[in-house]
Amino acid sequence: MWLVRPAELDDLDQILEIAGTQCARLSSTLPKQPEALSRKIEHSLLSFDGKAPDDRPARFLFVLQNAETGAIDGTAAIDARAGNGQPFYNYRRDALIHASHELGISRRVEVLYPSHGLTDHTLLCSFSIRPELRGTNAFELLSRSRMLFIAEHRQWFNSRVVVEIQGVQTDSGNVPFWDSLGRHFFNMDFDTADQYSGVLSKTFIAELMPPNPIYVTLLSKAAQTALGQAHELTVPNLELLKREGFQAGCHLDIFDAGPVLEARTDSLHTVVTSRRKTLHASHDERGDTCLIAAGNGSDFRCTLTTVYESLDDQVKVPVKTWKALGKTAGDPVRIAPL
Amino acid sequence: MLVIRPLQNGDLDDLYAMAQNAGKGLTTLPADRELLQRKIDLAQETFNQRCAPEAGLYLFALEDIGSGKTVGISGIQARVGLDEVFYNYRLSVTVNASRELGVHVRTPTLHLSNDMTDTSEICSLLLSDDYKGGGNGLLLSRCRFMYLDEFRKHFSEKVFAEMRGVSDSNGQSPLWDALGSKFFDMEFSQADVLSGLGNKSFIAELMPKYPIYLPMLPESARSVVGRVHNNTAPALKMLQAEGFNFNGLVDIFDGGPVVEAFVHNIRTVRESVNRHAMVTRKPIDLDVPVSERAMISNRSFQDFRVTTIPISCVDPDTVKLSPEVAAALRVESGDPVRLAPLKDSGPWPNHYHRERSFQYREVR
Repeated sequence: MWLVRPAELDDLDQILEIAGTQCARLSSTLPKQPEALSRKIEHSLLSFDGKAPDDRPARFLFVLQNAETGAIDGTAAIDARAGNGQPFYNYRRDALIHASHELGISRRVEVLYPSHGLTDHTLLCSFSIRPELRGTNAFELLSRSRMLFIAEHRQWFNSRVVVEIQGVQTDSGNVPFWDSLGRHFFNMDFDTADQYSGVLSKTFIAELMPPNPIYVTLLSKAAQTALGQAHELTVPNLELLKREGFQAGCHLDIFDAGPVLEARTDSLHTVVTSRRKTLHASHDERGDTCLIAAGNGSDFRCTLTTVYESLDDQVKVPVKTWKALGKTAGDPVRIAPL
Repeated sequence: MLVIRPLQNGDLDDLYAMAQNAGKGLTTLPADRELLQRKIDLAQETFNQRCAPEAGLYLFALEDIGSGKTVGISGIQARVGLDEVFYNYRLSVTVNASRELGVHVRTPTLHLSNDMTDTSEICSLLLSDDYKGGGNGLLLSRCRFMYLDEFRKHFSEKVFAEMRGVSDSNGQSPLWDALGSKFFDMEFSQADVLSGLGNKSFIAELMPKYPIYLPMLPESARSVVGRVHNNTAPALKMLQAEGFNFNGLVDIFDGGPVVEAFVHNIRTVRESVNRHAMVTRKPIDLDVPVSERAMISNRSFQDFRVTTIPISCVDPDTVKLSPEVAAALRVESGDPVRLAPLKDSGPWPNHYHRERSFQYREVR
């Protein structure tokens, strides 16, 4: 049985292990240093208790736990405010028409504008899972549990939610977009810059990023092709998020030009289709598998369960699901179909 | 004998032939009879002061008095960028630094600018191949500085020249290929011709307006920014000897440098002196080496004429002229003339320097 719950300090070592197994970008907002990660978990715990200080917006870190073995098999996070009180950097892909009436020439010129437009939108991030679980129900549970958390704590989040998808990286680890643009200004390789962006304040981006718009036509061919393209490893994630109602807009990651998906919080599939119900017992383990979440703040738990019957405002699920959620009959829960 | 004089109607045929021989590189003088005639007309209006001073185009012809042929041309555009927009790239540096990370990166950056607006430009220099050498190029170029000096109120304090940038034997420009062609959808030569023909509005409409970070261009393009075409290297050297310097601006198409100087600092201007003409019947050997020759002008606005004579003809108050030279300059004994050395390190006679310092005292 899989369970998603707030990360705790005891999870530190297992989280570090998972962060280490992921390729760079999937875990870029998850520090690989124990001290930094422990600070992040502490801040997350404050956030779940609703006690995040004013100058450090709430950031929630969840873990996927195997209820039988206790092993941590994945992480996922929500930043209530993208940028966490600092600017959130993206490129906005836009176009200008350069036209000469006299010569009868009209030409579309694509331009990348540095943008902070998505700052303070709610950000889904730090998604990592053991490779063998990719595309399974556990994968869906981990990702969508965040939407259920948002639905339950809607007032903590912005009306728009975004998620950055990792961009194209070659088998040898080169990032074409970085090599054509960022490398010239940051004077470091992609992995180093990506690491810094995970652990340092974003000041260094403001300091090193070219301040002016970039003409797409001056990028290398490989970099142009990579614009807005997702890394192939992220495809299952991308598909899932699209089903949730996320769409690629005109924003790109400043390092690898991966797409930034955007959605309206209130239109997220899970937010719209999930229902609040009262918990009741079922002695039958048959039924459709659903996501079920319960608990406020640090008591939040989310798992998969079979639903024997779901009538009016009641839901009948096996008692072992109660235990996983830490709830008993009559408690409120939220369920959503898989 | 070769004489500089204002460009005239009769020069059209010779000018057209020269422009045809010059090929594609020379965009200010395209081989187009109608356009050349317009230039001649404008020059005539300018010298006769029938057009606004800032619209003036002062074009000088180099005439071989013996054959009556026009063998060279050079010019001064009174002001650029007034009825059209004059573009350059400014080659500047963007620094991105992070103390936290110990990173300090300098990025050469091209910024589109109109900095030369309202400045006088020396332009349109072309000398027939048969007449290259013997100081003819120096005369054709430097006569303009004598004119600038003489009539300063018609020009800006600072003058500049755009030097031709690097292109290969097929007329392909590396900077154009890496930058301009991505925005203009045409060949370098075509764009260059259009801009030479005065169809400049297309530049404003099609140019990239945001700064261009040079590291994003290929090495072949980066390396030609601010460099001159091999054929233009001697012209650059000559202007540098006059005190012109690269001012950080480059041509938006081929990356050729812009060089500039303040008129009062130009060597020809600083070293020029006034004398009175004295026509003499005594034979004068005109055939002396370049380094022993001086330019002499008749100081006329409307019928400006310059030729060269041996420096040995220059006396403390006068300058000895043969009747032929006097006729070519259209001066008579007693008329004021102005002199300047033709070559960089021409040995001026001692009395020149004495008299010059005397002149300065008198001015004070």
